[in-house]
Amino acid sequence: MAALCRVVSGLRYRVRLSPRFLRNSFSSDSGPAESPISGFSAAFDHQEVLRRETQSNAAGPKASSLDPELSFAALLRRSPLIQMGPAKDAVVVGRVFRVVRDDLYIDFGGKFHCVCQRPAGADGLQPGSRVRLRLQDMELTARFLGASTDTTLLEAQAVLLGPLDGREHQIRD
Amino acid sequence: MIVNYRCFNFFFPYLGLLGFRYSRAATVASPCGGHHYVTAPSAKPPQPQAGDVTEKILNQPLEKADFFRVAELFSLKDLFDARVHLGHKKGCRHRLMEPYLYGCRLDHDIINLDQTMEHLQLALNFTAHIAYRGGIILFVSRRRQFGHLVETTAKDCGEYAHTRYWQGGLLTNANIQYGPGVRLPDLIIFLSTLNNVFQQHVGIRDAAKMNIPTVGVVDSNCNPSLVTYPVPGNDDTPAAVELYCRLFKMTINRAKDRRKQMELIHGLSAPTSQIS
Repeated sequence: MAALCRVVSGLRYRVRLSPRFLRNSFSSDSGPAESPISGFSAAFDHQEVLRRETQSNAAGPKASSLDPELSFAALLRRSPLIQMGPAKDAVVVGRVFRVVRDDLYIDFGGKFHCVCQRPAGADGLQPGSRVRLRLQDMELTARFLGASTDTTLLEAQAVLLGPLDGREHQIRD
Repeated sequence: MIVNYRCFNFFFPYLGLLGFRYSRAATVASPCGGHHYVTAPSAKPPQPQAGDVTEKILNQPLEKADFFRVAELFSLKDLFDARVHLGHKKGCRHRLMEPYLYGCRLDHDIINLDQTMEHLQLALNFTAHIAYRGGIILFVSRRRQFGHLVETTAKDCGEYAHTRYWQGGLLTNANIQYGPGVRLPDLIIFLSTLNNVFQQHVGIRDAAKMNIPTVGVVDSNCNPSLVTYPVPGNDDTPAAVELYCRLFKMTINRAKDRRKQMELIHGLSAPTSQIS
């Protein structure tokens, strides 16, 4: 699966955010000798305890034997797609999986692929090469007049920024 | 006693055959079920072994909940990595899919994988039982992107696929379109329940009309109501569809191998009793 990466400022934001969540989950295991926690952290700890209890009661033997961090809720929260936030103007890394003349079909890890025109002079982009994209939309949909549901194009929209790390002229094995 | 039964079977050769295997009448061996038509004086069947053995082979999987252990074939992490939880946008959502959704994140629906796990396990278990009993399974998908994949999956597990234009009377008018006495599929598996204009595939309604159970992967823009075993999940990403194809193929092959194994274990006694 193609990895989603952020530009440098985005990385710094994510690293700053995660220790706060880790600290809260650890504080729920420590004894009551700590100073009384209140507000968001208290609510968060309470919800964690409730969630683990319901998981151990309701889930089958397979789920309870695994780490609760592998629950769907935990996997979803830590997935790059959720951590990325809004898709508008997010820079991601994609992989070209099909080339039809000048059109590159690029998969970046979302539900749909995107189709970009091959830029002039970039003949090194073959199926399997990795590229950088600026996402505009994860799924192109619109509600037309008289319709009850949106019409979807089953495609994402992104702007091709270029090959990853300027490896355009290297030969890929 | 045995002489009388032999004469009886000679004059009425087809009475001993089980009713639901209509078109396979010629290939089913004679010893089973002859006692259905024998009159009162001979209440005990003269050849009990073969009929009981077949019944035992057919009834044994029904005693356990997960006889084929299909829950081992996949895990939550596999579904997550194959992007099964990604749904369409909020505006494309079907009202009846709301119970299966975990939530909506920035206008994108997220399918609840805990529910998907249960539904997928039920669907795979049902498929395995149908394959064990020698049922015909038909894979249907109108997504042109995955047509070849679905056809090769069906070929690999020895079943059938229909990924082209669905003619109106394929199931409902089969006797006239294909000749009398056509055997219809015993299970239809939809890898995508929509056709190319985002309407529900005609096969779902027709299968319900013909009492054929269906297994269908329903995305957040599909209608799950007529599908017997709906599996809420993504049907647009190649990774997800490849996962479903792989799971169905493994289940069907596993069930068929198990049947051969059971016949070998119990079938050693059946041929010898036929001779007498």
